[in-house]
Amino acid sequence: MSDKTEDIELRLLLEAIFRKYHYDFRGYSMASVKRRLGQAKLHFGCTTFSMLQDRVLHDSTVLPELLSFLTVQVSELFRDPSYFRVLREQVVPHLRTYPSLKVWVAGCSAGEELYSLAILFREEGLEERTLFYGTDINPDALKRAEAGVYGLDRIPLFTENHRKSGGKSSLSDYYTAAYGAAVFDKTLRQRAVFSDHSLVSDEVFAEMQLISCRNVLIYFDVEIQNRAIGLFKDSLVRKGFLGLGAKETLRFSQHAEVFTEFAHNERIYQKQGAL
Amino acid sequence: MYPLEGSTDRIERLGTAGPIFFHFRVDTHLMTERKSPTSLGGRAESGLLIGLVAVLVLFVVSGLVSYFNTRTLNRNGRLVTHTHEVLSALAEVLSLVKDAETGQRGFVITGEEKYLEPHAAALIRINARVDDIARFSQDSPEQLARIPALRAGLKAKLQELDETIALRRTKGFDAARAVVLTDRGKAAMDAIRDQVELMQQDERTRRVQRLTEMDNAYRVAVVSGVVTGLIGVLLSLAVAYLLRQALFTQQRQKWLQSGQIGVTDVMAGDQRLQQLGENLLRFLVEYLDAHAGAFFVQVGGSYRRVATYGTPVDGGAPAGFEAGDGLLGQAVKDSRTILIRDVPEGYLRVSSALGQGTPRHLLIAPLTADDTVNAVLELGFIHPVDDSVLELFERISEAIGVAVRSVSYRTDLQNLLEETQRQAEEMQAQGEELRVSNEELEEQSRALKESQTRLELQQAELEQTNSQLEEQTQLLETQKDDVSRSKAVLQVQARELEQASQYKSDFLANMSHELRTPLNSSLILAKLLADNREGNLSAEQVQYAETIQAAGNDLLALINDILDLSKIESGHMELSLDSVRLTRLVDDLSRTFDPMAQQKGLKFRTQILPGCPETLSTDRMRLEQVLKNIVSNALKFTEQGEVTLSVSRATDGRISFAVVDTGIGIPEHQQQVVFEAFRQADGTTNRRYGGTGLGLSISRELTRLLGGDIHLASEPGRGSTFTVTIPEIYDSALVSPRGLPTPQPSPPSSLVVHPRSPEMTSPQPATGAVPVRVHRIDDDRERLTGNSRVILIVEDDEPFARILYDLAHELDFQCLIATTAEEGLAVAAQYRPSAVVLDVGLPDHSGLSVLDRLKHDARTRHVPVHIVSGGDYTQTALSLGAVGYLLKPVKREQLVDALKGLETRLSQRMRRVLVVEDDPVQLDSLRRLLGSHEVEAIGAENAAACLEKLRDQTFDCMVLDLTLPDASGYSLLETLSREDAYAFPPVIVYTGRELSVNEEQQLRRYSKSIIIKGAKSPERLLDEVTLFLHQVVSDLPVEQQRMLEKARSRDAAIEGRRILLVEDDVRNVFALTSILEPRGAIIQIARNGREALESLEKFQGKPDQAIDLVLMDVMMPEMDGITATREIRKRPEWKKLPVIMLTAKAMKDDQERCLSAGANDYMAKPLDIEKLLSLVRVWMPR
Repeated sequence: MSDKTEDIELRLLLEAIFRKYHYDFRGYSMASVKRRLGQAKLHFGCTTFSMLQDRVLHDSTVLPELLSFLTVQVSELFRDPSYFRVLREQVVPHLRTYPSLKVWVAGCSAGEELYSLAILFREEGLEERTLFYGTDINPDALKRAEAGVYGLDRIPLFTENHRKSGGKSSLSDYYTAAYGAAVFDKTLRQRAVFSDHSLVSDEVFAEMQLISCRNVLIYFDVEIQNRAIGLFKDSLVRKGFLGLGAKETLRFSQHAEVFTEFAHNERIYQKQGAL
Repeated sequence: MYPLEGSTDRIERLGTAGPIFFHFRVDTHLMTERKSPTSLGGRAESGLLIGLVAVLVLFVVSGLVSYFNTRTLNRNGRLVTHTHEVLSALAEVLSLVKDAETGQRGFVITGEEKYLEPHAAALIRINARVDDIARFSQDSPEQLARIPALRAGLKAKLQELDETIALRRTKGFDAARAVVLTDRGKAAMDAIRDQVELMQQDERTRRVQRLTEMDNAYRVAVVSGVVTGLIGVLLSLAVAYLLRQALFTQQRQKWLQSGQIGVTDVMAGDQRLQQLGENLLRFLVEYLDAHAGAFFVQVGGSYRRVATYGTPVDGGAPAGFEAGDGLLGQAVKDSRTILIRDVPEGYLRVSSALGQGTPRHLLIAPLTADDTVNAVLELGFIHPVDDSVLELFERISEAIGVAVRSVSYRTDLQNLLEETQRQAEEMQAQGEELRVSNEELEEQSRALKESQTRLELQQAELEQTNSQLEEQTQLLETQKDDVSRSKAVLQVQARELEQASQYKSDFLANMSHELRTPLNSSLILAKLLADNREGNLSAEQVQYAETIQAAGNDLLALINDILDLSKIESGHMELSLDSVRLTRLVDDLSRTFDPMAQQKGLKFRTQILPGCPETLSTDRMRLEQVLKNIVSNALKFTEQGEVTLSVSRATDGRISFAVVDTGIGIPEHQQQVVFEAFRQADGTTNRRYGGTGLGLSISRELTRLLGGDIHLASEPGRGSTFTVTIPEIYDSALVSPRGLPTPQPSPPSSLVVHPRSPEMTSPQPATGAVPVRVHRIDDDRERLTGNSRVILIVEDDEPFARILYDLAHELDFQCLIATTAEEGLAVAAQYRPSAVVLDVGLPDHSGLSVLDRLKHDARTRHVPVHIVSGGDYTQTALSLGAVGYLLKPVKREQLVDALKGLETRLSQRMRRVLVVEDDPVQLDSLRRLLGSHEVEAIGAENAAACLEKLRDQTFDCMVLDLTLPDASGYSLLETLSREDAYAFPPVIVYTGRELSVNEEQQLRRYSKSIIIKGAKSPERLLDEVTLFLHQVVSDLPVEQQRMLEKARSRDAAIEGRRILLVEDDVRNVFALTSILEPRGAIIQIARNGREALESLEKFQGKPDQAIDLVLMDVMMPEMDGITATREIRKRPEWKKLPVIMLTAKAMKDDQERCLSAGANDYMAKPLDIEKLLSLVRVWMPR
């Protein structure tokens, strides 16, 4: 089958998903979506994207599974410890000057990053005045995030990351291990709101001091990246902070001039307000 | 299970199976001859039926026989009667004729009428009787044939009679007698008699015949009666027999059936083989009145005993046998039931199961299922066995066989089941192991998947990086394109420049001649005047004339220089080669300059070092010109010491002339400049030493023309060495093209200037020598007074700077002038001017970078900057923070306006910030932080002082610490908002305390900005204050603004209504409150769904405080808006409460979710004020 046909099918499939379920992947980076739907195709035993489309349209139970193919669910606690170290050492002092804080983890997946931030904020004594928003488009991921249960085998890595990020306490203070899994302290999500929110179609919902959106933009094409960054721009307070993934940058965004680089290597940006 | 071969086997067996003979009677009964019970019954019944039919037929036949006999008798009887009647009728006819004759005779004789009576009576009856005879004789044609004859006879007779009678009467007796005597009568009478006789005879014959027939019929009737009776008896007997047979058969059937049923019953249920065998034996023995029994079941290839009845266990029946082994085996092999009758006494050789007993009869029955013998039953009987037993066995054989098979199967199944269970357990164990290994695998696969997703992530990241790289590449490409475009432009420009330069040189070459002509005459005339030949001029006038002449000479020298240069540049310089003697050249120079040196008190030495040739082949005049120029320069710039000219052979074989002086020297960065046309190391040199500054340029060009070059080595204060190196023999090939940087690489200044910038071609090319030139333009920096009205002019064009300077003075500014960007920045930082007028095209950097740096320096960012430039960078400049932009050329009035604009900015009052802080050290540091040229920071250490200050003065902004000695910050803010006596500037709360959500909420009503003290708080405070001050500039006083706003926006639909705002985002709360409150709404705030419900509950009972409308956010902590709305709708009293949801979600679904939760309406964020207000108005209950 020619690539061209496949591309047409792929676009139709994305269009179908959007029309039927309002999940908009049309603006996602094509190569990545194609790869991931290719895997989904194999998984569902379809030979073409059109077959997959047929399945998705007529069997609504397929969608959740398909979503987990489309959204990459990989993260860990304190992933890229240096990022969290910079947050802790350089960004937090700024955040301390706000009486109340809002932190938005856009594309929170299974919540690892949100819990990392919650732990960090607790260690820094900011948790009490902070409200965390974790948003994702995948309801399954949100459920997992809300549960806060992770495989015990991942804990060593988490602990190591936490230590490298400059953690001031022991990670074991925040979870209870049982039955091969670690359950994170419920109080960590007392101040967290998990909600379904799409950077592709939804709007600003609150004013944030810190937005962490790591490794989400890489799956978007330029147009959607611009939209998402525009959302962040509108959500952030003046001088608010935006953290991106290691390979993401604002440099080519149309909103680039609104932000200044705060920590180059860690891709932390600060919003500039007009005087 | 049931191989097809089985059936063929059976057929073969049948084919070969012959009867089995033993010396005792053996009844064999082929299994295959079985008949169904119904056919047996059918035979009896059909016999019975045939008997009954035979009886019926018999009766019908005998009835028919009787019928026909009776009919024959009847008919013959009737015929006899008939004959008899005919006879009697004949007799009567005869008698009647006789009567008639008698009567006639009597009459004739007597004449008496009375004798005629019999005659008359006879006449009447005769014919009737004859008719009767004719009628009776219908069946006899002979008789009928005779009747006409009879009638004729009768007629003749009667006629005779009548004649006679008539004659008698008429003629009397005699006549009559005569007639009678004729015998006519007698003849007639005889004829009649004959006829009657014939007929009677015939009838009589017939009667006899019929009587005989009747006799026969009687006989037949008797015989048939007897026969019928006999046959009837026989048939009755037969039917009775048949009936009995049928009954018997039926009983047998019943017996067989009950036997079958019994067997089936016995076999029913879930039995094991042994149990089945025992039950079966017990039943059969009892049912068949047998005495012993054994039951064998096929196990594998052989048969095994599973049950016995009535035989001793030991030594009784064998435990098993093979097919074909003994009678049992034979029965199996032949698949037929064997019945052995009358087993002889003591006959024990037969290996029957019942060897010890003495049963008289044995029955061995193979039991088959699907033609396979799978069990054998042996029964021993004392009494003889009848056929029904065999038949029973025939019937039950299959059933038992099947049952045995089923049991076998069941047993097998049971075994299999057990096996399966065992295997299942094993499987379970294995499953467990598998599960464990599966978990491990899963673990691994999860790890794999994780690493896969990680790879996926990396891939996506890589793609991202790639796309970024691509973009960068693209960017670079674009830049490259730009560069190559600029390069092309540059080349074009360079060509144009070259051409222009050529034109210029041509023009100059021409012009110089044209100039010299009038100049010559002026010089001459000036000389004449100076000579004052007439003597009529005053000494002063002579001096003027001499000045004119001197100036003219200078001008002429300049023109000559220019001419030379332009000649060289335009390529018009021609060389005249000849042989030049070195000694002579040096001597000439020495002669020329010695006096000059002596005049200055210098020493001029010349030397020709060994190794030099005697003569050179070059243009002597040009070489002289170069050397003269250099030497004269050396002398000019040397105040003391000496100047040496030494000629030597350079390492490359050329001849070098080195002029060494001990003069002021040239700084390194100037060393290039001195060779450039119209330049000198220091602009001031001109004035001090005179000269056009063209000499070295011309020298360089001439040297170049001579095929050589000039090098300069110098150190300021230590002197300079100019070395002219030329080839010994001129060679045009050695002449380097013009423009090559001969002594030094190209000057760095050319890199700074934008190629298209008008400044490059501005008539100020000499400004390249920057840092050296300090205070070139006089300004007021040494005379600055305390007056803060200082303006900095950054402008490299001196006249223009001068104009600005004067203008500034006119407007009563003090003025500083900087001619370069660096100087401008330094001056700005040092003197803190209150306004800046900035040129863009500066020699070192662009003025825009100056602007940017001024705006990014905290010390200078407040300073208004006005741009005046030849290039149009208006947008950039304004966006960088310039207050105005003027494009050169500018009119004076424009400049005045610009400066006045700056003046008004300056004359605006200082921004005033009130800092309320109880700690004096903090207060001081805050004041220092915030205070600047334009910001006056005023401190208040407590609430009272603060109130006092706010009562008396106005402030643009207030920084408030919440902890004050005399009152809390909250109460202070409330006082301020409540009492009109105090001004209420915008407040920035600056506190060391952490705030609870409620506190923050409370503060947000008065303060837009809250800062918690910390390491980074000063930075943010300054930022916020600056923001405030910038925002409020040019606005109406806030208080006034608020009042205006208030007056304008009262809204009847909203005024006084209570709105519950459920929203966790403080910014939104503030925004919505500030939209709704001015319109008269009373806002209650809840931060999440739960608080909203509590709030509604709280105000529920109070009619004057009840909530009229709810604005509900969707995304909130604890309880979201959707759930809260559902909860609200659950309460009957809140069913009608208008709820408007505010959602950030764009999809129709989300909005439908709002509505389905019970919201009246929804609004998507970002909120449109007008739309929100209209929604609130629409839904607000009236």
